[in-house]
Amino acid sequence: MQQTGMLGEDGIHIDMNHLKSGEVNLGTSIMAINFKDGVILGADSRTTTGAYIANRVTDKLTQVHDTIWCCRSGSAADTQAVADIVQYHLGMYGVTNDEPPTTQTAAALFQELCYENKDSLSAGIIIAGWDHRHGGQVYAIPLGGSLHKQAYSIGGSGSTYIYGYCDANWREGMSEQEGIAFVKGALQEAIKWDGSSGGVIRMVVLTAKGAVRHLYLPDRNYEGPGTDKP
Amino acid sequence: MNHFPEAWGRPRDEIYGAYNPTYLPSSLGGAHQPTTRTQSPIVTGTSVLALKFSTGVVIAADNLASYGSLARFTDVHRLKPFNKRAVVGFGGDVSDMQYLDRLLNSLDVEENYTSSTGDSKQGGEEGLVDAPLMSAKNLHTYLAKVMYKRRTDFNPLWNALLIVGLDDQSQPFLASADLLGTTFSAPSLATGFGAHLAQPILRRVVPNEAASRELSREKAVEAIKECMKVLFYRDARSMNEYSIAVVDENGVELSENEKLENQSWAFADRIKGYGTQVV
Amino acid sequence: MTSIGTGYDLSNSVFSPDGRNFQVEYAVKAVENGGTAIGIRCKDGVVLALEKLVTSKLLKKDANKRIATVDRNAGVVHSGLLPDGRHFVSRARDEASSWRGTYKAPIPGSALANRMGAYVQAYTLYNSVRPFGITAIIGGYDAETELSVDGAVGNGPKVGAGGKTQGVKEGGPFLYMVEPSGLYWGYYGAATGKGRQAAKAELEKLKLDPKEGNCISLEEGVKEAARIIYVAHEDSKDKEFELEMTWISSMSGPTKGRHEEVPKALREEAERLAKKSMEGEEEEEEKMEG
Repeated sequence: MQQTGMLGEDGIHIDMNHLKSGEVNLGTSIMAINFKDGVILGADSRTTTGAYIANRVTDKLTQVHDTIWCCRSGSAADTQAVADIVQYHLGMYGVTNDEPPTTQTAAALFQELCYENKDSLSAGIIIAGWDHRHGGQVYAIPLGGSLHKQAYSIGGSGSTYIYGYCDANWREGMSEQEGIAFVKGALQEAIKWDGSSGGVIRMVVLTAKGAVRHLYLPDRNYEGPGTDKP
Repeated sequence: MNHFPEAWGRPRDEIYGAYNPTYLPSSLGGAHQPTTRTQSPIVTGTSVLALKFSTGVVIAADNLASYGSLARFTDVHRLKPFNKRAVVGFGGDVSDMQYLDRLLNSLDVEENYTSSTGDSKQGGEEGLVDAPLMSAKNLHTYLAKVMYKRRTDFNPLWNALLIVGLDDQSQPFLASADLLGTTFSAPSLATGFGAHLAQPILRRVVPNEAASRELSREKAVEAIKECMKVLFYRDARSMNEYSIAVVDENGVELSENEKLENQSWAFADRIKGYGTQVV
Repeated sequence: MTSIGTGYDLSNSVFSPDGRNFQVEYAVKAVENGGTAIGIRCKDGVVLALEKLVTSKLLKKDANKRIATVDRNAGVVHSGLLPDGRHFVSRARDEASSWRGTYKAPIPGSALANRMGAYVQAYTLYNSVRPFGITAIIGGYDAETELSVDGAVGNGPKVGAGGKTQGVKEGGPFLYMVEPSGLYWGYYGAATGKGRQAAKAELEKLKLDPKEGNCISLEEGVKEAARIIYVAHEDSKDKEFELEMTWISSMSGPTKGRHEEVPKALREEAERLAKKSMEGEEEEEEKMEG
């Protein structure tokens, strides 16, 4: 019955279940917040297969439209596939309707994919975007494929360690500087306590001015280089 | 190349031996298990309570969506009004709740294809001009069939629902439907933990239909609020903010940000140690 | 119609030598025989109105509604061949619900008009089909307030950004008219059917351009719509008709963003005023003659 996990006689048998369980996982710390002028997405950069760090400088912040991005957690393959599909749809939406899609549109597309394929996906996604009509918005789609609008959202294995930190330090209507400090403080704690999170802190700030990337390195005590070149 | 995908790009048998089909489904000679779609709930809501009174029904559910034991989302409203004359309360998986909510949304749009005066009672001298809107009873029948169909497909919607409102005769209506396609009706109903903790209390308030016809709205609301409090004390997946709705002739009155009041904790003062300790 | 009988009018997929598709032009003729239908895009909503000619005394009054709801926020009125109109409406409903299925939000008016235009146009291309014998007016309201994603839960932040941008003006009333060729435009006021010329003349007198200010309100629009239908009916006075009217306002207005029938009391009041203004004109005409 359970032969599927074994190597076949031919020696080159590929077992789908085996691939799935040994998969590259984004044991992760991700988050996104609303602030006064838009949203900030943040993530660590560790990707693991079991205890081995497969990539220590991963970019888990993925663009699906100009100022609509997402943070991915769960299976790297699954979340990349989903993000690619949504990126395609939002691109098509933009050209066929003569106006850029809203964050809602992106959230709805992500949700449908995650919900309808819940049996085969392991994906926990946070969508954050800025659009002309609504300003910044943050949505979370946890494992089952439900959709939750939130003031700020945290996700991934590392997030369990920072529920208290975030709840205690969260304020509505923060400035950009305050927002960055909040995200950085939270992710530093997550990296500190979660073995599956680590490496650098990446951020993306989304406002009327567009998308700006930030980078904070552990060997510089997560103080820089920010938006500069290292 | 042929039409058997399992042969595509395969090394030649005479060199590498026969193809190992174990990963294929048994219909193709493999040892794979049947496909399963039965999920398990991930983000969940706990109990829903409802109670019939003389002229209507009261229903309540808290605003928490749990992720295992983690109190993940605290602003999830699990009571959904339908047609101004019914409310559905959702327990169980939140993603499936959202699916059903969208289903009800499209049902509402379709209902208004034929009657678009907004108010079904507004009619000519001959009575109703529009087709009457779906009653709570109709809605329950519909949802029960949806739930039953999905369990029969081995792909259940992981919810326990309470449907409240008025039936075709404008009498108070309360019934449940769950992931197994089971339906039930009674003067008081509760799902999840509530079935164990709240239902006995509610049954003491309304032991039978006759008693519910005598019950005032105030007493009904009070009983439900009392039960929400008991559930907060004893259900580890509950929270102290909740939604409550009353449906009667005047329509739906829904409040989504109620807080539990008059809790009793001060007696903790008298509890010392676990048996012999007195200090 | 100089080319009638030359054979170029027999098939959809064949142009005449001077570049015309006669089947489409004949379809327009079918529309020109239908009861007048109009739409008015007011400051705070849209009114759709129809002169429903009574074809038999055996038909129940106020029954057999002709203005259709397509989605909560949009309606369609048409004149021409009735069954063609029903098919058009059915397609519009499918488009609206498929949009909802994909994007979990109501379809914007521009997208609905675009898709229906494309659909009607396709019926001018093939020799196995005939064009639509209707001109349809699509009216509705794109929500100005923030719309939550269908089914989503949660609220986001209470202040600052997060889906609550202050002062941004989006959405509003929309009105489109789709012709048998598939051609469609957005209008301030649209009219089609038998009395369209008279109706258009009346529509042009109204203040409908928001850029010029003083745009008429939805309630005024209802009264004007009733009056215009009565004016348009003048030429076929011998036939009885029923006035059918629907309207749609913003979320804060009387219909709460939904496409609904104009309440009976308001419709009857509008009809009373319409009849009165007609009588007034007649009196004036008589005076002039005298």
